[in-house]
Amino acid sequence: MKTNRRKFIKGLGGAALALPMLESTALAGQAPPKRLLIAGNPFGAHPDYFFPKEFGRDIELSPTLKSMDWMKERITVLSHTDHNMVSGHGREVAFLSGVLPSEAGGYPDKNMSLDQVVAREISGGNRFPSLNIAPGGGVRMSWTASGVENEVITSPQKLYDKLFVNLSERERGVRKTMIDRDARILDAVAHRFSRLKKTVSKNDLERLDRFETSVQELDKALGSQRNWVDSDKPTYDLSKHYQEGEITVKNDYEAIYDMVAFAFETDLTRVATIAYPAHLNFSSLDGVNRSYHGCTHNGKKEDLAAELARIEAFQVEQFSRCLKKLDSIQEPNSEGTMLDNTVVLFGSGMGYGGTHSNRNLPIMLAGGGFKHLGHVDASKNGKHMPLCNLYLTMIQRFGIEREAFNLSTGTFDLSYA
Amino acid sequence: MHKLYLPALLSLLVGLSPLAGSEALLEKHCSTCHNDEKSKGKFNLRFLGNEPDHQSLEHWITVLDLVEAEEMPPEEDSELSKSDRETLVAFVNQKIHGYQSASQLTKKSKPRRMNNREFANSLRDVLLLEDIGAYGITGDLVGDTLHHGFDTHGETLGFSPFHLEKYMAAIRKVVDLTILSGPKPEVKQYTIKPERIQKEQRAQSSKRAAIFGNKEFYDFTDPLSSAIFSDFTSAPHSGRYKIAIQCTGKGRLTFPTKYTGLYPDDPIQVSLHLGDWVKTFDLPDDKIFEIVEDCWLPAGTPLELRNPTDGLRQYGNGNFKFQYRMTPDYYEKEDPVRYQKMLKEIAGKIPAKKLGRKKPGNHWSHWVDVWDGPRPRIVGATIEGPHFESWPPETNIALLGESPDVTNAEAILRPVAERAWRRPVKDDEMKELVDLVKLSAESMPQVEALKEGVISVLMSPSFLFLNTEEMDETGRLGSKLSYFLTSAPPSPQLNEFLANGKLKSFEGAREYLGSAVKEGRADAFLEHFPYAWMELADINFMAPDPDNFRFYHRKSVSDDMVNEVLNFFRHALENNIPLPEFLSANYSFINADLAEVYGIENGPKDSRFQKYTFTDGRRGGLLGMGAFLTVTADTLSTSPIHRAIFVMENFMGIHPTPPPPDVEIKEPDVRQAKTIKEILSAHTSDKTCATCHEAIDPWGYAFESFDSMGAWRDVYSVPDATTGDESLDDQKRSKKLMSTVPIDASARFRNGTAYEDIVGYRTQLLTPANRDRFVRCFISKLLLYANGESPADSDFVEVDKILNISAQNNYRVVDTIAAVVASPLFRD
Repeated sequence: MKTNRRKFIKGLGGAALALPMLESTALAGQAPPKRLLIAGNPFGAHPDYFFPKEFGRDIELSPTLKSMDWMKERITVLSHTDHNMVSGHGREVAFLSGVLPSEAGGYPDKNMSLDQVVAREISGGNRFPSLNIAPGGGVRMSWTASGVENEVITSPQKLYDKLFVNLSERERGVRKTMIDRDARILDAVAHRFSRLKKTVSKNDLERLDRFETSVQELDKALGSQRNWVDSDKPTYDLSKHYQEGEITVKNDYEAIYDMVAFAFETDLTRVATIAYPAHLNFSSLDGVNRSYHGCTHNGKKEDLAAELARIEAFQVEQFSRCLKKLDSIQEPNSEGTMLDNTVVLFGSGMGYGGTHSNRNLPIMLAGGGFKHLGHVDASKNGKHMPLCNLYLTMIQRFGIEREAFNLSTGTFDLSYA
Repeated sequence: MHKLYLPALLSLLVGLSPLAGSEALLEKHCSTCHNDEKSKGKFNLRFLGNEPDHQSLEHWITVLDLVEAEEMPPEEDSELSKSDRETLVAFVNQKIHGYQSASQLTKKSKPRRMNNREFANSLRDVLLLEDIGAYGITGDLVGDTLHHGFDTHGETLGFSPFHLEKYMAAIRKVVDLTILSGPKPEVKQYTIKPERIQKEQRAQSSKRAAIFGNKEFYDFTDPLSSAIFSDFTSAPHSGRYKIAIQCTGKGRLTFPTKYTGLYPDDPIQVSLHLGDWVKTFDLPDDKIFEIVEDCWLPAGTPLELRNPTDGLRQYGNGNFKFQYRMTPDYYEKEDPVRYQKMLKEIAGKIPAKKLGRKKPGNHWSHWVDVWDGPRPRIVGATIEGPHFESWPPETNIALLGESPDVTNAEAILRPVAERAWRRPVKDDEMKELVDLVKLSAESMPQVEALKEGVISVLMSPSFLFLNTEEMDETGRLGSKLSYFLTSAPPSPQLNEFLANGKLKSFEGAREYLGSAVKEGRADAFLEHFPYAWMELADINFMAPDPDNFRFYHRKSVSDDMVNEVLNFFRHALENNIPLPEFLSANYSFINADLAEVYGIENGPKDSRFQKYTFTDGRRGGLLGMGAFLTVTADTLSTSPIHRAIFVMENFMGIHPTPPPPDVEIKEPDVRQAKTIKEILSAHTSDKTCATCHEAIDPWGYAFESFDSMGAWRDVYSVPDATTGDESLDDQKRSKKLMSTVPIDASARFRNGTAYEDIVGYRTQLLTPANRDRFVRCFISKLLLYANGESPADSDFVEVDKILNISAQNNYRVVDTIAAVVASPLFRD
């Protein structure tokens, strides 16, 4: 499918890309594309506020998840699932793979994260194979097949520039010339390196190999960038999010989620991760004065714990707002909405910052056309379910044939229509 | 002092039968707890085997460490006599040394990519720039991830296509802004009038109308905004600019210190920002001072002025709005006549429509224009440029020579490549560069083609990676030592030292280091090594609670805390003090803000740092520093465990294993009137916790006498009732009922030695075993900083040799660093 789509886009020429997705797919007469959206944070969630008190579908949602009420029949919240990690900060970077960077060498795909596994398979024809957004820099959740952290987009402005800023005719010419020059330099560097390589010991080569793969991958990326230079990007009005004259965490995230939703709609990309980084300043929210990390260490003081819960509820509210948007867009060639064709995940690689626990991660799945289960106890015989089981289920939903994913022991039982 | 005679003892033993009965000693004193059924602390004596091998080595080293420190066997169960212990230590040591001398495992450390500051410095030196700051490239690179505070850790730094892409863009940008072409731009004169100086709000984007100075001057009315010149927001072309800015300090003493936080002896300051290049100036009161700079500015360099004057955030959390509350508060009380006059002035200035229902003076913004507190004032400025010595400019000539012709490509690019690759360049390598230039010249002007050659040189792994094998031994040593001390390529002085062969010996290394420290050629090391070692990047990751530690936030005390560390470290190297003094010193370097935090009355009276001697035995050296005590504390509470782990990992070189995944850790509860010892009672009552925690917790309890920002406390204060009432002001809040719980800062180490408080604890850290641990740990951190990786277990013996040289030189810090530089572990 991916090669077809790419040919199709090329055949149509650049202008077609400016059209919203609805028209181009309708033309192609293809099944609607599947997409993946993941939101994550580094400190997990206060369990008393996050997990609903009862299990099942028709239940009262917890305070943190309150904003999901409008679709509570269509979500799956998992209790008792994790990557079986010991306590402490720094392990949340394994959120989407279950594998720490330091142990990546032992796995065929290193610590490649869920989003990249999916992007590698489904994003060949898109302008941006994936987007990895973390204002101010990262939660480090997206990792490539070579075990390096994926490029991070660090502000709404940078996301906007990447997705929607068009170059002038002259600038396009310059850009193409510069890409050609860069590619020529990379060729020269690669050639020089291939000779240097012969004289280098195994000890040195291990690190220098990454240089070589980087040159190859950048060369490939430049090739793809060059192909896209002449195609117009869709237009988007960023300023509508900043009408109040003040930059707050709320209008930043509204802008980010809306841009991602629009990028899905116009098929600029099909995979995105959005992070709520540790250093983010939430104090523009009502009732929040302290640092995010500071609030996680609340010592059970009620007012501080409530401050943390406010931050976490905000994260879910923004997520929920985006899902509502996706759900309002009818997917062409399909009965369902865009949300039905988008697998969405909210969660963290840390259980709860207050205890530094990395067990019982706060995990919520929605969309994707799954028959959702409400609040589920994923444990069996008192043992937590490996979160990679859920990831395997998600991967298979994209039609990717895989029998295992890192720590998985099977799949998570979730059917779809 | 056993380390000193150990080698001698060992040599005696060689040839004799192995230490008689040592295996029996191990069996007798260790096997009760460390056997097949019971392997306490996850250790079974069988792990050792008969001899160390690559798997068991780490266990042998741990055994040596714990037996030597008398922490094993634990004091209460131990019948190991002093002489038997010495025999056992010698035996284990001999085994380890025997294994390592046979296996020769020392391997060259792996190459690593430069971190971003090294990259910027290297680019500067290769391209012969006077400064790289104005180019502002670091913000565009992929950020460096830290490894336990270190930005030099190879595996963590990584390398990816994203890095490469950003390098390409940054290199291209710098080369384009340095090698110029086209017609020579005209010199222009800019006369900056104060009414064309504009206030820039950095804290928030605002739709309010732009604010300018008046006809006579521009005043900084708050500490958070900056000023830009509307007629020169950035350099229009690359070139040299002459900048002259006339300014003065106003209102320094208008308000007492308790209002502003500005100490009477501190100056008003202004800072000039040209991209990332920053210089700060002290301004005289009411007299005009002229800032004069003559520097190369790449096109697009933004020019900005800021107000870094200490203090001014004494109200609220330093929010600029509250600064203006100062004016009415003060004048209403101290000078009511003036207060009324000001209200009238405000009423006259603000149109009724804008005032709305507010009374004049009832909104913070009304007080902006009447602010007469401390402020830098700009009265005018002139800028002239771009100037060039020649056209094409001197920067072109320095890199491409007088005739930038493709036919000269080899002669032009060879010196660039030799600087960049830090080694001689082979002919076939040159040929490839020249080929690229020739190929490029087919489609672009000659100078442009030569630029492609320069960029290609800088995109090579020989430039981007440090510590590769391509260099000979001398070249590699020079490069490593240079990046170690200066975060930049080797300087002429260093090359001369290398050429004379002086760096081969320990003495030579010591001489070079001594002079480098004194002559400012080790400043990068003096700043970045202690910053990494003490994990100072994390100091505000969990800053003390803003409601309870207002002073900390209002005066940005974390900056002072960082500076205390850096001042102490610089003092240590400049005076070559013994390393144990880092822990035992009764002095440190503090200013008035730190004196306030530390509760010192006869200390410094302004923001400058002075050496101060503490007389209570509680502070001095690293252990009493606010930086260490804050970086290890939570927002509201302190954790003896965090502090213990920090001391163990960063000072003692002990790496305790984290708790297993199935342990449920209780969340601390600050509402309880309990001591931390009661809260952590599971650490002693629960056996699974106790095995590790009896070894960990004693390292941290002594610090319970210091609160979240490192201030001394005699008791814990626990609020009696719920106190979330935000409407209470400071005074009412402090009158709330608080109950106090006494602090127990005593503990007993596993080897039986006990301490009552921090004073006793500090002496415990100076035992020979702990002193050696500290020095060994320091050596290991130096090697991590230099090599991009920590020494391995298999480097134990080489580290031991460094430790011995350090000991022979009374553990003096420069001598110890010299011993590291002289070691094969540094030289590979």
